[in-house]
Amino acid sequence: MKKGILYINQFFGQIGGEEMADYEPEIREGLVGPATFLQQQLKDIEITHTIICGDNFMGSRKEEAVQRIMGFLQDKEIDIFFAGPAFRAGRYGVACGTICHEVNQKLNIPAITSMNEENPGVEMFRYTDIYIFKGGKSAAQMKEDIKAMARFANKLVHGEPLLPAAEEGYFGRGKRHEIYPEDGPMAADRVVDMLLKKLRGEPFQTELPMPKTERIPIAPPIKDLSRATIALVTSGGIVPHENPDRIQSASATRWGKYDIAGMDSLSPEIFKTIHAGYDPNAANEDPNRVVPLDALRAYEKEGKIGKVYDYFYTTVGTGTTQGEAARMGREIARELLEAGVDGVILTST
Amino acid sequence: MRLEIGNFPVREVRFGETTAYSNGILTINKEEALKVVMEDEHITEADLVIACPGDPVRIVPVKEAIEPRVKVSGGTMFPGVTNELVPVGWGRTHALKGVDVLVVGKHWGGFQDGLIDMSGPGAKHTFYSSLKHICLVADTDEEFERYEQQKKNHALRWAGHRLAEYIATCVKDLEPETLEVYELPPITQRSPEVNALPGVVYVMQLDSQMEEDGYNALVYGWDSNHMLPTFMHPNEVLDGAIVSGSFMPCSSKFSTYCHQNNPTIKRLYQEHGKTINFLGVIMSNLNVNLEEKTRSALFVAQIAKSLGAVGAIVAEEGYGNPDVDFIKCIVALEEAGIKTVGITNECTGRDGRSQPLVALDERADALVTTGNVSELIELPPMPIVIGELEALARDGLSGGWEGCVRPDGSIIMENNAMFCGDTICGFSRKRMAEF
Repeated sequence: MKKGILYINQFFGQIGGEEMADYEPEIREGLVGPATFLQQQLKDIEITHTIICGDNFMGSRKEEAVQRIMGFLQDKEIDIFFAGPAFRAGRYGVACGTICHEVNQKLNIPAITSMNEENPGVEMFRYTDIYIFKGGKSAAQMKEDIKAMARFANKLVHGEPLLPAAEEGYFGRGKRHEIYPEDGPMAADRVVDMLLKKLRGEPFQTELPMPKTERIPIAPPIKDLSRATIALVTSGGIVPHENPDRIQSASATRWGKYDIAGMDSLSPEIFKTIHAGYDPNAANEDPNRVVPLDALRAYEKEGKIGKVYDYFYTTVGTGTTQGEAARMGREIARELLEAGVDGVILTST
Repeated sequence: MRLEIGNFPVREVRFGETTAYSNGILTINKEEALKVVMEDEHITEADLVIACPGDPVRIVPVKEAIEPRVKVSGGTMFPGVTNELVPVGWGRTHALKGVDVLVVGKHWGGFQDGLIDMSGPGAKHTFYSSLKHICLVADTDEEFERYEQQKKNHALRWAGHRLAEYIATCVKDLEPETLEVYELPPITQRSPEVNALPGVVYVMQLDSQMEEDGYNALVYGWDSNHMLPTFMHPNEVLDGAIVSGSFMPCSSKFSTYCHQNNPTIKRLYQEHGKTINFLGVIMSNLNVNLEEKTRSALFVAQIAKSLGAVGAIVAEEGYGNPDVDFIKCIVALEEAGIKTVGITNECTGRDGRSQPLVALDERADALVTTGNVSELIELPPMPIVIGELEALARDGLSGGWEGCVRPDGSIIMENNAMFCGDTICGFSRKRMAEF
């Protein structure tokens, strides 16, 4: 038997309405309010405790509330966490999202809640690893919403295969994965059918809705280049021959930094590219074609720039996911900022 | 242009005294077949092994798949590659169906090579688990690339093309079980009824991002890196004018078999005269620098517009950097007033949360996607391995890495190395969903 705990607010915890919204977090053994119906719907999961917390308490003293609730859970056996359903109640929805996310991250267990699409908690938390089920507008839909949460929890604990978000009934979490419908239509039919609909002006459903792109504002110009320290960073895969950091030739998750202090240029006897996504000949013949240390040294001598930073940073950009690239970029930028680097020349291939 | 493809379904493949086809049984004289393979002095050793759907078999490193075919009349097989450069897409071609020649490295793999499981949980990851394979397992003396991550695989791929034609020669003079006819008259000579239907083109963006010859897809033997988009008859694609390259990460690749059997072209043929006027194929490519990408997009849109197309399908043989070519081409077509649908795969990362394409544009509002190149796939050991399993971990296959082959023979890999795993040509039933 797996163990679960449910989080609810002061209202569903039968403490009181708005006047009790400052109610301090509390944990009770057994079932309170909606926990009873949730328990009835669960198979092989026992709701051992119910946590009650006032919506204002969670809203205005979030850190304290989270800390106290996580304290409650410290000595509890817990396999799965529930919160809500929160319907359209905004503060309650945000509270459910907050605590589900915290429990999911810290205890590494699944956390399930339910909200209406208009609840601000949906947009705040849907792209985390918690499951937010598409819930009704008000408590009139309590039973339906709890059933949806419980059905999914039962699947989770029994290790049953999970369907895409739309079929399970939770808000998609921006995680796109493969599915393998054996009898599904071939891509050739899907693409021609979509074209026929588009030609006729009929509604069609793209299989890849265009995600919103993150636009990074261009940095302000460096005021005095002649005093600036400039670093070289590349996704062109230039590394010492032995590739000491074992950076992958494609789909990279690692980056390296290599000392170039005292070098006038990158020698092909020391450096080469391990990038598998472009013809390596030109880069191996002269690695400065990818990491232009020779040109930057010339600028340094002429006084156009203050100094070339003593290390260059490198990774491989082919097949590398945007997520990994962004992480590596943040890690490298952090080091460069700490080292007082003023500007970066970022080269690809 | 009229092309007849006579089909000879193969229910069983075996070795025997003579290479012959009878009642669905394909018999191969191994010795004679290997002689055809060994015509290239660079091939140092070779063997043929049969693998069928359901067999407890894992095949790796797979380099190419070819449907065994022979020209009965009109042209040659693989013109400008293994045979004389003459036009194809007309006359009669005989094809052995449900079977392919699969080119497998005896030891060495590379970035562009892939893996196929013929049964078990891995089988669902590629269409190629559903074909009977005549595996050509061989090694060469191409020392210059033995330890290179990117391999041209010239000797092996060409041997596969010769072998496929040799095998199919046994049905050259036989009566096929079924006959498919592909006929599209010249655009200006179609009936008023057909001309009244919306004109549609199929745009193929071939794998062509290597600057050096020998890696890219070939169009009548011509390196697709060195071409501008051009207009082709769909029959030419179906009849061996396009030979697969040896560069793109494997799940994104179109094998030569994919070209010979391109299901999107076949479906467009079915719609021709009913819902659309299928104008033909615009053969394009995937380029390295931005100006080349722009130029190709511009040519595609111009050709489509000049042909009077109002609809287009753009298929991208690749992912990552070529997504730029893909989106540019779609945008150029849409801007020319041509309603466009794209087909490609995605790169959403192991956690599914990365941006699916390198380039995005709101005008690409109709896309079909067939897989996630970085989907993590864990598979149990397989009793029989054809080729060399260690190649997946050792030789830089795009979905493999050091340590991804465990001592017990189980593997963990990215879809990237699944042989034609995403079949962007249109076989894929696999798709993407949000979780």
